[in-house]
Amino acid sequence: MAARLNIHTIAMWLLPALFLAVYLAPLLGIFGWSVSRPEPGAQNYVRMLTDADALNIMLRTARVCILVTLTSVLMAYLLAYHWVFGSPARKLFMELCIFIPFWISVLIRAFGWVVILRNKGILNETLLSIGAIAEPLTLVRTEFSVVLGMVHFLVPFAVFPIASIMRQIDSRVLLASRGMGASPAFTFWNVFLPLTVSGILASVIIVFVFALGFFITPAILGGGKIVMIAEYIYIQMFQTSNWGFGAALSIGVLAVVAAMAGLLFRVIHPERLVK
Amino acid sequence: MSNFQRDCCELLAERFRSGKLDRRGFLTGLVALGAATMAAPGARAAGQELVVVNWGGDAIDAYSAAFAEAYEAATGNKLKIDGSGPLEGSMKTQFESNSVRWDVCDAEPYSAIRLGREGMMEKIDYSIVDRSKIEPGFDGEFYVPSYFYSNVIAYDAARFGDDAPSTWADFWNVAKYPGKRTLYKWMTGVLEAALLADGVAPAELYPLDVDRALAKIEVLKPHIVSFWSSGAESQQLLRDGEASMGLLWHTRANLTKQDTEGEVDWTFDQGLVSPSGWTVIKGNPAGLKAAMEFIALAQNPDNQVTLLNELGNGPANPAAHALVSEEMKPVDASSKENLERQIALQAEWYADHYGTALDKYLALVSS
Repeated sequence: MAARLNIHTIAMWLLPALFLAVYLAPLLGIFGWSVSRPEPGAQNYVRMLTDADALNIMLRTARVCILVTLTSVLMAYLLAYHWVFGSPARKLFMELCIFIPFWISVLIRAFGWVVILRNKGILNETLLSIGAIAEPLTLVRTEFSVVLGMVHFLVPFAVFPIASIMRQIDSRVLLASRGMGASPAFTFWNVFLPLTVSGILASVIIVFVFALGFFITPAILGGGKIVMIAEYIYIQMFQTSNWGFGAALSIGVLAVVAAMAGLLFRVIHPERLVK
Repeated sequence: MSNFQRDCCELLAERFRSGKLDRRGFLTGLVALGAATMAAPGARAAGQELVVVNWGGDAIDAYSAAFAEAYEAATGNKLKIDGSGPLEGSMKTQFESNSVRWDVCDAEPYSAIRLGREGMMEKIDYSIVDRSKIEPGFDGEFYVPSYFYSNVIAYDAARFGDDAPSTWADFWNVAKYPGKRTLYKWMTGVLEAALLADGVAPAELYPLDVDRALAKIEVLKPHIVSFWSSGAESQQLLRDGEASMGLLWHTRANLTKQDTEGEVDWTFDQGLVSPSGWTVIKGNPAGLKAAMEFIALAQNPDNQVTLLNELGNGPANPAAHALVSEEMKPVDASSKENLERQIALQAEWYADHYGTALDKYLALVSS
């Protein structure tokens, strides 16, 4: 009994402690860099908050991430609804729509969009041949194509938390609402939607945090012109050897992610999402 | 930091796979590039094995054994190649964490200079490496040229062939030469091109007036379809007509010319030429002598000509140009006559200013 208790205690305390140590040690190292390179002080953080170029990159990142998050979550909500409440045939179709892109490499998906959208791509050639346009549209190597590619990647991630919450809704509640004379729209806005808020919020946070770290998709679909924070950090670390500033930027991103994770845990119970 | 070297390995692999290159040519090319496969970091006895880091692709893996044997026969040392690419940040990491795994790096000269100044790189031992086998004026304190490549004007010859562009002023002239442009995302050569377009004399380029160059690039920005960051991408932009003109590595420009049967052409006029450099991190496992011996062995003109034949990289050893075939002479970036048409990038300037200038450049690129 005592031995079992011991093993149990060790497992309970040691593993999380180990996890924390393995995670925290490098993190503290990065923080150390951010306040010590090239010389001790907060100058890297000052630069992060005052340097116009860095602020522009952060603004661009925020704008793209917000656009991507809103679009992905809206699409995911519709997809999840049909996946959870649709007929068996529709469910199967939705599963295909959600899972097939989910399993295809991020690189292939980004290049796929280039093939479709570029000047001599499928879309422009089709529009030209039916006479809908006279000149090829510039669809790729723009912020638009970056957002499109990121949404395409992130929609499945947004579907899962929402669908999981929708599955837990007791359909009798909806029937009761209808039975008391509420219209379908009223029922949706006042009964169904509030019940799914936690799923929406989880999706928003998951997608936003993911989008924040995007690197490959903007690089391929942005024509090199859409530099976001992840690539900016990479540049500071590997191209310009500006480790202190890169570390400060990393800590900044981490703070944003941590704040969002904190929000997630306060508003909803994560364990509900994995039912 | 350029990925030119990685690009060379990719080219070799592409040509080998598509049957344009036989196995022997492929291997010789790899030998010349000093590239083979990823070496697993592991315990090894100093002096028994030499690790050269390059930008190799995974298609190279299968041939490492053959290559290593060939090298062993020549030197008695085993050779392992790591393909992870000696980015400045990566070399710095190895030095700082006291875990140097690479003996010889094929890196950017300005990275070698910068890290050399910080005391992280070995000085080249010119008692082992032969100064007379280096294009005069390019022997570095911390690096030895491994080969030359150039940033050139590639253009849509089908459209502009009658009055081909030959200066960066032409490149900026969208009225005379309509169409989109593409420039290099990691900036090497781009500021020089902009200043030449703005009327700065080649002899007066350095020190670069960064703000003036950026202002000139800003004027062109609405016409820039993409800032390419891989050689394959730059080729695609010209081949598919997405850009009517581009600043390309001459190797890729030449391939695009072959692919399009001359519909895309290029010129060495006002090309911005630079060596790639062998460099050694302090505390390399096989020891300084072994590293320098490898660099000396790589100066062999035959290998350098093979590299030119397979990829178009200009030999670093002036003696090699005499061995170049008539057919390849127009592609040889470092021959006397082609060097005369070009302007050399100044590694020292980059060592001093690359970081700050790149920050500004990328701010403009992404604005």
